[in-house]
Amino acid sequence: MTTMFKLNQIKPKTQDAVWLTLMMLTLGNALIAESADPSLWVTVIIASSIAIKGRLVVERFMELHNAHRWIRFTMNLYFLVLPLMIVAVFTFPELFADMTRI
Amino acid sequence: MTDSAITLGGTNPSVDQPSLIAQAVPPKAGRIPGNDAVWVGIYAEMTEFALMFVIYFVAKVQYLTLFDQGPQQLNTLAGTLNTLALLTSSYCVAKAMACIRIDRPQTAARWLYGTLACALCYLLVKSWEYQWNTEQGIGVDTNIFFTVYYYMTFNHFLHVAWGGGAIGWAIFQLKRGAYTADNHEGMEAIASYWHMIDLVWIIIFPLLYVLR
Repeated sequence: MTTMFKLNQIKPKTQDAVWLTLMMLTLGNALIAESADPSLWVTVIIASSIAIKGRLVVERFMELHNAHRWIRFTMNLYFLVLPLMIVAVFTFPELFADMTRI
Repeated sequence: MTDSAITLGGTNPSVDQPSLIAQAVPPKAGRIPGNDAVWVGIYAEMTEFALMFVIYFVAKVQYLTLFDQGPQQLNTLAGTLNTLALLTSSYCVAKAMACIRIDRPQTAARWLYGTLACALCYLLVKSWEYQWNTEQGIGVDTNIFFTVYYYMTFNHFLHVAWGGGAIGWAIFQLKRGAYTADNHEGMEAIASYWHMIDLVWIIIFPLLYVLR
């Protein structure tokens, strides 16, 4: 083997930075839980933090950034659909209540 | 780079960490991390929790007041500590995977001990939280919010417990030299499963403790 591998592996400093970002986002969420009144913007911020945290773990810790494209796609999709559902349910609760009433 | 550099790099103390990482065999592009079987399990678990999230949304739109008051009655400190513990546990697993790729099983095992410590911390905090809830007069049948809360969090609690068992197995395998830089499929499967447990909590925490 004479060629240097081009590394797809996550660098240690990147892992450290991802961990720090996740910690900060979590503490931010906790602060919101304790202080902020419910509003659309608060909901959007929380939903966005779920999307960001999910994507960071999927791409950087789970290392799906170079995995099979369907595995990567479906895992990232999960963290797009759930945050959108959170915002949709907050924005149109009566619509969803009507749709799900037996 | 020679073959010997790749083979011996992990045990040669003169080789520094950055060059070892540069020599590590990278994960193959387009691969299935771990193996097919663990991904069947991961998708099954993610689907199970997705159904619970659907139940949460349906219950929430039907009982908006209860789902507004519920999070304010829960112990946010416990939820936050558990989130920090699980995210840190995932970080330790990612570090362990990086170590095994440069053929450092002992260091990888130490990182996985960190994961086990975080899992234990999660289980203890969650048990304390359930006890705290009881003291506040909160139980499974208090109202629909707490029924959903207990159903979701206790299910997740069980996943952390048996996921911790799998991490313990990975440590045992590392100690007996079963995983190497070239052969660590089993460890990667366990790592992927553990990340899934963390991912689910990333959603549960804001749903139950933050959103009103």
